Amino acid sequence: MPTSATSNHPSRPEDLIGRLNSAHTPYEAKLKALRDLKNQIIGNRTKKLAFLKLGAVPSVVSILSSAAAAQGGGGDNREFYESVLIQSAAVIGSFACGLDAGVKAVLDAGAFPLLLSLISHLNEKVADAGARSLKLIYQSKRAPKYEFLQEKNMEFLLSLLNSKNENVTGLGANIITHSCQTTAEQQALSEAGVIKRLVGLLGGSINQKDASLESLAAMVKENPEVSAKFMGPENGRALNVVIELMKDKHPRTRLLACMCLISIRNTSTSYLQDSGIKNSLVSVLLELLDDPGPVGDEAPFVLSSLITEKEDMQKIAFNANLIEKLCEHLNAGSYQAKRLQGIFLLLGDLCSKLECCRDRVLDLQVLNFVTEALAHDSAEVRTAACNFLKNVSRSVKNLSAGQFMNEAVAVPLVRLLCDSSSSVQIAALGAISNIVVDFMAHKSVLVQCGGVKQLVQLSKSMESAIRVNAVWALRNLTFLVSYRCKEEILLELTSATLISLINDPEPSVQGQALALVRNLVDGTLNSINYVFGEDGAVLHAIARQLRSTSKVEVQIQGMYTLSNVASGNELHKEAVMNQLLPQAGNDAEKTLVKFLQSTDSRLCTATLWALINLTFPGSPGTCRRVTELRNAGIITQLKNMINDHCLDVKLRARMALGQLMIFGSVWTWYTSIKV
Amino acid sequence: MSLFWIVIRQLAEIQAMATSKKVITRADWEKKLNDVKVRKEDMNKLVMNFLVTEGYVEAAEKFRLESGTEPDIDLATITDRMAVKKAVQSGNVEDAIEKVNDLNPEILDTNPQLFFHLQQQRLIELIRNGKVEEALEFAQEELAPRGEENQGFLEELERTVALLAFEDVSNCPVGELLDISQRLKTASEVNAAILTSQSHEKDPKLPSLLKMLIWVQTQLDEKASYPRINDLSTAVLEDPAV
Repeated sequence: MPTSATSNHPSRPEDLIGRLNSAHTPYEAKLKALRDLKNQIIGNRTKKLAFLKLGAVPSVVSILSSAAAAQGGGGDNREFYESVLIQSAAVIGSFACGLDAGVKAVLDAGAFPLLLSLISHLNEKVADAGARSLKLIYQSKRAPKYEFLQEKNMEFLLSLLNSKNENVTGLGANIITHSCQTTAEQQALSEAGVIKRLVGLLGGSINQKDASLESLAAMVKENPEVSAKFMGPENGRALNVVIELMKDKHPRTRLLACMCLISIRNTSTSYLQDSGIKNSLVSVLLELLDDPGPVGDEAPFVLSSLITEKEDMQKIAFNANLIEKLCEHLNAGSYQAKRLQGIFLLLGDLCSKLECCRDRVLDLQVLNFVTEALAHDSAEVRTAACNFLKNVSRSVKNLSAGQFMNEAVAVPLVRLLCDSSSSVQIAALGAISNIVVDFMAHKSVLVQCGGVKQLVQLSKSMESAIRVNAVWALRNLTFLVSYRCKEEILLELTSATLISLINDPEPSVQGQALALVRNLVDGTLNSINYVFGEDGAVLHAIARQLRSTSKVEVQIQGMYTLSNVASGNELHKEAVMNQLLPQAGNDAEKTLVKFLQSTDSRLCTATLWALINLTFPGSPGTCRRVTELRNAGIITQLKNMINDHCLDVKLRARMALGQLMIFGSVWTWYTSIKV
Repeated sequence: MSLFWIVIRQLAEIQAMATSKKVITRADWEKKLNDVKVRKEDMNKLVMNFLVTEGYVEAAEKFRLESGTEPDIDLATITDRMAVKKAVQSGNVEDAIEKVNDLNPEILDTNPQLFFHLQQQRLIELIRNGKVEEALEFAQEELAPRGEENQGFLEELERTVALLAFEDVSNCPVGELLDISQRLKTASEVNAAILTSQSHEKDPKLPSLLKMLIWVQTQLDEKASYPRINDLSTAVLEDPAV
């Protein structure tokens, strides 16, 4: 496109940089170029990125540096150098504003110490420029960590907070918000009297209030002592001030006040627990959700921190019609990724424990929006949608009604199993794990869209978190599933993979793998035969794991698996018996006895079930097994358990004992009358 | 008695009214009004607040000298702000942007909506002056990236660019963008942003008071028949319809 040559036309970026860098450019022209650059980049992210690539930042920083050095010499040009300082500081600040790449470039170029030196300048405008730019740097995570624990640094920080200049106090507050992370730092700041100063700022201008609220939230976070100090008498009625700020005119102030109060609430469970404040927080945040700007984007996350894991808060939010409001927003078509993520995050929180919430959500047809969200560009949105699905599918009623096992949900979820982000994969696995427990056994949908293949693939992942969740999903999938389905799954999985999962280095994976086998052998004889095939390799693997593991969860699953196998035919029972009470007797402690002596009731119960199945009357080899067991001293062991405090253990022990005794007495009777 | 004074007293009186519906004669009403006390200092502060927020520097100075009322903002900062407002109102948007950036470089960097509206205004001015080629280039260079950075702006962007498609711009569907009112809207937005950045209230108190009066009269209408102020600009008490 031909460029028109009007005098107002902005200079081409390369020319501009050229003028800044060239030694031949007169200083006045450099000042003009700086100003020009500043006006081009402010508000314009695209231009900032373009100029960054051209190396604008080092050029400007070097100009700043030489101006700072030159004006130290005093003289007539003082005013001129001050203008250069102001303009170059403003350019640097703009590059750092909301742009991580910009912050990095600015820090790499060594701007930080230069800007620091400007804060104490006599010319208020220069001090302002320096303070503003530093403040913008400190709003980014990339800012250098401020070491509060060094005395000089603490003094400097206090001097910032005590300044009359609003930009400088704002900088002090931002530093705290950014860098205060450990308990020790919170303590040190508190002891230096920072709280008092911040509380003072709460009565200042809008910007001071906002900056102070954020800093206070960072200081009290997860620190009951500092929290208590904040609410102590020497800080006046600071807490009340913050509560009042919840009704401030400015949305951002209201949001930050809520954030501060939630921080305190989550830290010390003895404060802010009355229903008045709970309801206020919910209603203020609910209203802030409607804000069209950045406040509305952040509000869902603040609300989430209030209700997550807290059933009482979720109930209050539910009664305040939060779900209806979120649906309104979904219906209005929120395209912004952050907002969508926030909405699904909240829906997930609400559905985590309360059935009434899950019902309402499904009634309002929220699932219609999930399909799109699962395919959204942003990984965070996809993750939030998956977590929401995982939580809402905890509703047994709706799960068994087949609400989730349909193409609109299952197909996009399965697609996410090969997502580029592993956190999305894990979240998808979590959702699938719940959805496949569908009692109506519509599981063929998942099989059809290649779900099993994907899950098996993921069970071989290098990341243990993915492996565990993939096997968990497979385990849930095989729960009460048809024989044909089991066939398909095992065909895909193969015994070899199954064995390697049983022997996985992670105990959590071992446990899930054993649970998977347990589900696979549950049901008819065919199932058991199918899993153990010709050589019983899987059975060996299970028994070996049982002997070597020390994790009780793994032992329990393994035992239940063997118990299921022992419910089969004679061959199966013998196979299990050989594993649990080996003839060779080399093991110092036989597994069976060891487990019966466990202090974990669940493990005892599982073992007792295996015993019951092994000694079930009607099978040819039962007598022989009973004798072996008696010889191993099982009877004594069982007699110790018939009055166990755990009902399951007590009843199963009596049942097992009964079976052993019946056979014992019959056998004795038989041998005694034999001629 | 100034109109202002009448309005304030009306408001105060209604707020103190009894609850049952009844008819109040003008004589009674005016008597009650006379009993209401309003301080002159409060009124002066309201007037000063209005002048300062709207940016009437000279009037504010004069009022300060004549009434002794102190403004709550440094009058010097008003001058800068008014220069920006004037620039936008005259269509010199580029100049306005430079002035805003001199005043406080953070404002446009942290207000994407305002920045977009200023650039939109620049485009409108280029189109108004018939510089079609320049306008197209500007739209592509400067405005399209804003749309990319923020999808919420796309609709307005499309409306603005649509101006280029019409021969007779003043009569097209989006013609209102060329109106002076569009300039005033943008100017007002800039004014508010500057005030906020200086930690001042962006709205004067006076309109809130008037809104309160209208609302309170509406509430009272359900309970009583009384002399109303129907025209705020004259503040004349009109007899109730019997």
